[in-house]
Amino acid sequence: MSRKLDYPSVEDGRLVKAAQRGDMQAFEELVARHRDKIYGRAFSMMRNEEEAVDLSQEAWVKAWQRLKQFQGEASFVTWMTRIVINLCLDQLRKQKRLRAESIEQLDEDSGGVERQMPVTTPNPTERLERGELRRRIDDALARLSYEHRTVLVLHEFEDLEYKEIAKKMECSIGTVMSRLFYARRKMAVLLAGLKREQIR
Amino acid sequence: MTNHETELEVQACLDRELSGGAMRTVEDLLSRDVEARALFEELRTTKSLVAENELEQKLPESREFFWSGIERRIKADEGLRRTAEVSEGRATSWLRFLAPAGALGALAIFVGMALWTPEKFSTAVAWDDSHEIETPLEETSSFSFRSEAAAMTVVWVDSHRE
Repeated sequence: MSRKLDYPSVEDGRLVKAAQRGDMQAFEELVARHRDKIYGRAFSMMRNEEEAVDLSQEAWVKAWQRLKQFQGEASFVTWMTRIVINLCLDQLRKQKRLRAESIEQLDEDSGGVERQMPVTTPNPTERLERGELRRRIDDALARLSYEHRTVLVLHEFEDLEYKEIAKKMECSIGTVMSRLFYARRKMAVLLAGLKREQIR
Repeated sequence: MTNHETELEVQACLDRELSGGAMRTVEDLLSRDVEARALFEELRTTKSLVAENELEQKLPESREFFWSGIERRIKADEGLRRTAEVSEGRATSWLRFLAPAGALGALAIFVGMALWTPEKFSTAVAWDDSHEIETPLEETSSFSFRSEAAAMTVVWVDSHRE
């Protein structure tokens, strides 16, 4: 006879195994544990609260349906994050098809004004509290085009290699390198502006 | 250092994406080119600033409300899947019946065609040696004549003009 799980105190691995056997309460516990992280990744890519909630819910539904495919090569939360990233990329691709090309997108690969910007070394950590610094960096990320932001999120937050990003974004490694370069340069410019603002 | 390719190599060096030889070439460049070094530093600082300072987002919904949405979707999807499986099952059982019936039908047609002869057919139906069909129209009239013996069809069209 199987013993009833004390869900909040059980580690992810056991919850996953229980959920794979159809235990929905175990799955609900996993959702409760990681919902912020999964929502956060969706939000960092979509920059829209409603869409991020919707896509993160969809990711959890997909995870339930594919739970038997999870073999535990990576952690459960890494597996979940990959699901939500793929959903966000699909959604962004759909939106891109619908959206008229903006000026920002026209100079996407040439880097726009960042191409001509002098090199700068941002160091806002000197004056800002960590929480405030994070908020400012997040604001700067929000000002990037979605191609630049996505490549930055996948590289800096998810630690993916160039070729993995290229595969996910369905573009060449050269495009990934170029987008990452201009994304970083633009961030440097935005954060340097932040530094000047702090000095005044 | 004005070459964009070199800029990307500097970045790839920072990201440890270069092979051994290419890495050494860029490191050599960084040791003697001030501009390349400054760019490397800018990229390195930005990379670590972003990577180490991701803002933690909080889901703007309560645990119960968020879960209820997921649960509803899961149940709706399962309902849809069950319906699809049922109709698929019905289709399969129909196919189970139709497949042998279809095979029998095809066999019957095949046998019928094998036994069929044009002579029998021509006598079986009203097409005798001189069969005529009249096609009455107001302004024109036509007559067709089919001779099975001669294996030909003749059509007369009369416009009623004197």
